[in-house]
Amino acid sequence: MFEQFKNWFESRHDYAKDWKERTGGKVIGYFCTYVPEEILYAADVLPVRCLGGHEPQDVTEPHIFGMFCPFCRDVLAQGLKDKFDYLDGITISQSCLHLRQAYTSWDMHKPVEFSYYLPMPHHVQSLASRPFLRSELVKFKEAVEKWTGKTLTDADLDRGIEIVNTNRRLLKQIFELRKADVPPLTGLEAMYLVLSSQMTDKREHNKALKELLDQLPGRKVEREIGERLMILGSENDDVPFTEMVEDVCGATFVIDDHCTGTRYFWNEVIPKEDRLQAIADRYVDRVPCPTKDWPKRLRVDHIKNLVEEYRVQGVIVVQQKFCDPHELDIPAIQQSLKDIDVPTLFLEFDVTAPLGPFRIRVEAFLEMMRQDDLF
Amino acid sequence: MSENQQKEYWRWKEYNWKNPEIPDWKGGLVTAGVDVGSTSSQAVICVDGQLYAYASMRTGSDSPSSALNAINWAMEGTGLTLQDINFTVGTGYGRVNVPFANKAVTEIACHARGANFMYGPSVRTLLDMGGQDCKAIHCDDKGKVTSFLMNDKCAAGTGRGMEVFANLLAVSIEDVGDMSFNVETEPDPVSSTCVVFAKTEATGLLRAGWSKEKVLAAYCSAMASRVVSLLERNGMELDFAITGGIAKNPGVVKRIEKLLGVQALTPKYDTQIAGALGGALFAKALVEKSAKVAK
Repeated sequence: MFEQFKNWFESRHDYAKDWKERTGGKVIGYFCTYVPEEILYAADVLPVRCLGGHEPQDVTEPHIFGMFCPFCRDVLAQGLKDKFDYLDGITISQSCLHLRQAYTSWDMHKPVEFSYYLPMPHHVQSLASRPFLRSELVKFKEAVEKWTGKTLTDADLDRGIEIVNTNRRLLKQIFELRKADVPPLTGLEAMYLVLSSQMTDKREHNKALKELLDQLPGRKVEREIGERLMILGSENDDVPFTEMVEDVCGATFVIDDHCTGTRYFWNEVIPKEDRLQAIADRYVDRVPCPTKDWPKRLRVDHIKNLVEEYRVQGVIVVQQKFCDPHELDIPAIQQSLKDIDVPTLFLEFDVTAPLGPFRIRVEAFLEMMRQDDLF
Repeated sequence: MSENQQKEYWRWKEYNWKNPEIPDWKGGLVTAGVDVGSTSSQAVICVDGQLYAYASMRTGSDSPSSALNAINWAMEGTGLTLQDINFTVGTGYGRVNVPFANKAVTEIACHARGANFMYGPSVRTLLDMGGQDCKAIHCDDKGKVTSFLMNDKCAAGTGRGMEVFANLLAVSIEDVGDMSFNVETEPDPVSSTCVVFAKTEATGLLRAGWSKEKVLAAYCSAMASRVVSLLERNGMELDFAITGGIAKNPGVVKRIEKLLGVQALTPKYDTQIAGALGGALFAKALVEKSAKVAK
């Protein structure tokens, strides 16, 4: 049932190359989920997210600062090693400093016909961010038009919005099913859904999601569910870790807060006459990444709501090593969960997760919740 | 090669022990805990929840045989065979590789349970200083873990680090602690706690004319400050106790106490067996629970 999504994730490059051949269209790599994919879909460009490869590498050392996160390093390595050699363009919306360096270095060493740095405002809690982002989207749209030679009408934008919104809606409907006592899908399966949505044509992805949604209500995860866990923090596409927690340790992830998870698709564009303003508002109002979640930490209440709605028993908080924005948020998040008696386990992720040491931490964490059997 | 270089200074005593107050295990509920750590392995046998016998030895390259060797040695002279043990809990780094274990439990839960038995129900903060990692654990009056924090991915502040230093300075591991107090003034801690870098730094200090005692003091103190920061991150709540091999090293323990401004509880038993002991006690609870279910 999930094979298709898993295959898309695992053979993302083959998929994109094949898509290009099939459609004759352009493919753009994006570095951060604040990139307005609606405009790219309106222009018939395929956006694919540049994620890491989780393999040791030795090509980024001269190009990335030593104390920058392993994720930005891994992403840049993919570019330098020509894993994304089919890209016609690359783009980033103003993200954290680390990922920006991955983008600028990629741009310098592997130039492509289109490269765009979109100045997404960090201070999204300011009223000024709405007109500001709108004006930046005007420029972004113009640049895309110039690149593709295609003028984007309101009808094009509506189509782009609809494609991306449908994807968000379907993913959210599927995630809704995870609230059940026995969810119809595991955390790993949910992870494949979201990750594959970031690297395939959403029209195809939507079709597959609809079929899945028809089949899911009758399905139950076959093994015992164990503890209902949430995982949250920085970017996370670490399959072996998720597999270990669910298959070896016997717990189940029922919800997440990651930009490779719910943060990516949780909010839709709410239609407005001014299409670009509607898109801008969506990115200003979406569940924020910590670089944009200040001065108020709005994410804390959002996380607590998810914990309640999905009846989460414990939370695994992960952080890419050296990820300062997340590092700064984590004490507040852990404290707020402690205040509502939800235990947390903090783990620091690298390009590959050390499964042995992590296993003992996860097992001890689960034992802490289930140790009544032992007394 | 000189004789000095051939001697293995890191080697600590392997031994077994039998409780003279329990003359016979027959008729009692016999349970065992086997803690296959990264560096040492312990087997503890309990009779009706009382400590009956134990053995402590070095872990070999093969976890299953280390577990077997430890339990066989603990059973030595008791007339026990593996068949007489009602339930065995495996714990430690090699917990899933104990061939005769009925269940695996992490050493974090086991150490808290073991410390509750060894030090009494007042323990709230426990520091387990093992061979290759250390853990700050909070527990309640039953010895249930309420939170824990482990050190990161290196051997800094662990038993293995101390073994490396014993070898480097040609001082028997059991004398390291006492010797480290043999200094006129306490030196600053070595600046790096990474075992490899600290070793390099210590070599430099020796060359600069530092005595062995002073270098040991600097290393013990670096190790103490490293684990104190781990404890403080997890929060301190009294009473405080230490388990694991390093708990036997006064050079580290006294410095930890000084930095924290708290006294650790005095152990009644070998601190290294806490994990295996906790395992044996869990084994008893598991047997009793399944008996209840069977009824």
